[in-house]
Amino acid sequence: MSLRETINGTTAGDRVLFIFLLLVSFIGIFFIKEVLPRGNEVVIEVEGRVAYEYPLDSDRTVKVESRYGHLTVEIRKGKVRVVDASCPNKLCEHQGWVSSGAIVCLPNRISILVGSQEKPKDGAVDATAG
Amino acid sequence: MQQQDKYRIALLSAYALALHGFESLIPMPIPWLRIGLANIITITAFILLGFRAALMVTLVRVVIASIFTGSFLGPGFMLSMGGGLASILAMGAVFYVAPGLFGPVGLSLIGALFHNLSQLFLAYLLFIRKIEPVLFIAPVLIMIGTIAGLVNGLAADLLIKGLKNGGDKIQNTAEWK
Repeated sequence: MSLRETINGTTAGDRVLFIFLLLVSFIGIFFIKEVLPRGNEVVIEVEGRVAYEYPLDSDRTVKVESRYGHLTVEIRKGKVRVVDASCPNKLCEHQGWVSSGAIVCLPNRISILVGSQEKPKDGAVDATAG
Repeated sequence: MQQQDKYRIALLSAYALALHGFESLIPMPIPWLRIGLANIITITAFILLGFRAALMVTLVRVVIASIFTGSFLGPGFMLSMGGGLASILAMGAVFYVAPGLFGPVGLSLIGALFHNLSQLFLAYLLFIRKIEPVLFIAPVLIMIGTIAGLVNGLAADLLIKGLKNGGDKIQNTAEWK
């Protein structure tokens, strides 16, 4: 009644099923990214309106300006960061590289939405922030 | 259903509950990740006492565990119930269609697979509502489930053999109750 006996006592079906499931999930882990539509976009909103839209996999540096200030957005290798912001506390810079979610710069009224979220409608920013 | 089977189902349900509770003590990298140790008992009940007994054990475990943790009829309960039912139904179906093909290990793998699939589907339906994250996590979950299913299946196999060998003792336990 040892573990070895039990393992040897498994049916062929058991073994085939185990290897099949492992293989399928292993392949799935690596290929699901390729299969899924790359809906990943970087949407930059200035004062509540969509100003720029870029695919996340195109490396570029963008300078974004609003009435309140400016900041520079860097997109590289599927991640986004703010390199240079004109605001005093630079919270957006400290946030570093972001691959999903959002970077919001309140003083400059600029928000950078990363990932495949639904685009907010124009004017969706609430009155206090906008 | 014989009177003695009822005792056995009650006893197995208690074991399943204990394992279910014990499992929450094991630290996991992701909080909702579970090994599904209680499935050892479900498989044991299924092989030794049949489909109805296993279904009963699953239902009792899910309902009472949720009452213990205070999540009865909550979203976690829905996931738990859906997973448990899908798992036992799939095991029953496979055993009915091809009785000799799989031993306890194969049944455990089937159970784990359908447990995960139904929970992913329910999570999509109830909470996430986006197909990408569900598809994204599915292969990872199936792989972990397969490994956990193998461990559970081997444990169930050992338990079943032990119970069959020491059949007199089990008999006594049931009568002693």
